Amino acid sequence: MGLRKVACVGAGITKFVRRAKETGRELAWEAAKMALDNAGMTLADIDCVVIGSAPDAFDGVHMKGEYLADGSGGFCKPVMRHFVGGGTGVFSPIHAWQHIASGKFETCLVVTEEKMSSCFPAPAGAFITIFDHTTEQPLGPTLIWIFALEMNRYMQRYGLTEADIAKVSVQNKFNAIDHPAAQLPGKITVKDVLNSEVLAWPVKRLDISPASDGAAAIVLTSEHKARRITDKPVWVSGVGWALDTAYWATRDLYYPQYVEKAARMAYEMAGIREPDKEIHIAEPYDPFDYKMLHHMEGLLLCKRGEAAKLVADGVTARTGRLPCCPSGGALGVGNPIAATGLMKIIELFLQLRGEAGKRQVPGDPRIGVAQAWGDLMQVGTVVVMSR
Amino acid sequence: MSFLEKPQRNVDLTAYDGKIPVHYKYTLGLAGDKFFTAIKKDGKFVGTHCEECDVIYSPPAIYCERCFASLEDSWVELPSSGTVVAFTVVTEDDQGKELHCPQVIAAIQLDGADNVFIHRVCDCCIEDLGIGVRVQATFKPKKERKGTLDDIEYFEIATE
Ligand SMILES: [Zn+2]
Repeated sequence: MGLRKVACVGAGITKFVRRAKETGRELAWEAAKMALDNAGMTLADIDCVVIGSAPDAFDGVHMKGEYLADGSGGFCKPVMRHFVGGGTGVFSPIHAWQHIASGKFETCLVVTEEKMSSCFPAPAGAFITIFDHTTEQPLGPTLIWIFALEMNRYMQRYGLTEADIAKVSVQNKFNAIDHPAAQLPGKITVKDVLNSEVLAWPVKRLDISPASDGAAAIVLTSEHKARRITDKPVWVSGVGWALDTAYWATRDLYYPQYVEKAARMAYEMAGIREPDKEIHIAEPYDPFDYKMLHHMEGLLLCKRGEAAKLVADGVTARTGRLPCCPSGGALGVGNPIAATGLMKIIELFLQLRGEAGKRQVPGDPRIGVAQAWGDLMQVGTVVVMSR
Repeated sequence: MSFLEKPQRNVDLTAYDGKIPVHYKYTLGLAGDKFFTAIKKDGKFVGTHCEECDVIYSPPAIYCERCFASLEDSWVELPSSGTVVAFTVVTEDDQGKELHCPQVIAAIQLDGADNVFIHRVCDCCIEDLGIGVRVQATFKPKKERKGTLDDIEYFEIATE
């Protein structure tokens, strides 16, 4: 295609917390500085900066990209901010990939941030205007309506129970115990999930990831730069992004077409024909427990309706055949929206380098996929990384 | 709607009222916390100094935007005086309503700092205000200070 190879050579992440004392730009700097240090680089080595951050209404800062620019290393550099809602964090490396693959830049600092705790009484309030102002808003919808309807549709389509789905939350929160940035790690049981407060049936408190403050950053470079920086580059070997219908209520809620479209694009670029056999490790977006299942199916990691069985059988556990969310995911590590997607990319980076410490997936994984989901619940962003 | 059909008033078409029901509580941040604590407790400005770039930031940052060095341990005290580099006299509020008393806003080069500081200037100084005029911060009485920007009452033309 005439595109250059792009490598990830460094990563940094702040702790994900409910309420950070730091400002958003301070969080951005902590993650960005850590990523540069990890790569053994300085700001002078960086050609351009991309910033991923979800709605301005979370931080309460309009033009959040500009606000975050100095903490993200954007001083006197070409800076671009992108935003595809919850899909932002996995779109961030795609955006940076374009800068480098095109030949325009050699190095790019990729910074994602969210400070949801600024928003009172709850970040959910900022979501009201994503609903259609005349056909939906008069009903007083909340974001959880969408997920409740979608989860219910998914359950009835495949005959799944709430307990089948709760196992995802149990797995991911357990995995998060070993993640140093984690906000909500823990040993919980299916019963704990089922007994937690019902928010909009069938969605319960422990089916959901928390609102979080946090930032994450990586450094991407061209191939020849990467070879000089590290002997362990991790390649961005496939990228894909897609929107299905522009309106959430005009698609069938049981299947994430948006992910499949994006995944096929990324797999084609990465030369992956049988994702269920060729992918060693996956980080599907899991802001809700059923969404990890949904997204595993959209990523073609299993047949439709079979994801819950893989979780129940331990296939998706860190020691299973196809580890899913070995990081602990959004459910366990936390969900500062844009930073969550990049946290997943960072997990692949560390796992593929064999540097994930206690979280290290056995068996020397070489190919991983990360995915996020967002906009009005219909955008899919997918990145394949390999060693 | 045809090209020639032009509703003249923005309430002429059927509409639902909408509102984003949120408000915000911003943390001061690590740098802001020290900056406003110094104002509240001591009536003083502080900044951070990047030795590498020889730049002093006030209001401060915990990092140097130029070289990305950590400035978390590079605090300096600054005098609360400076020089006006630009000013404006505001006569309408943000809703377009005429202000009872015009508000003077200035960009002030704080002594020792490399960036300008934006704040009010006392309207009693309006006659003598100009570019290059020396000004001095007036802080509220200590017991009224809350650790916010309003702890600085305004800047006044320096007496000496
Ligand atoms: Zn500096």
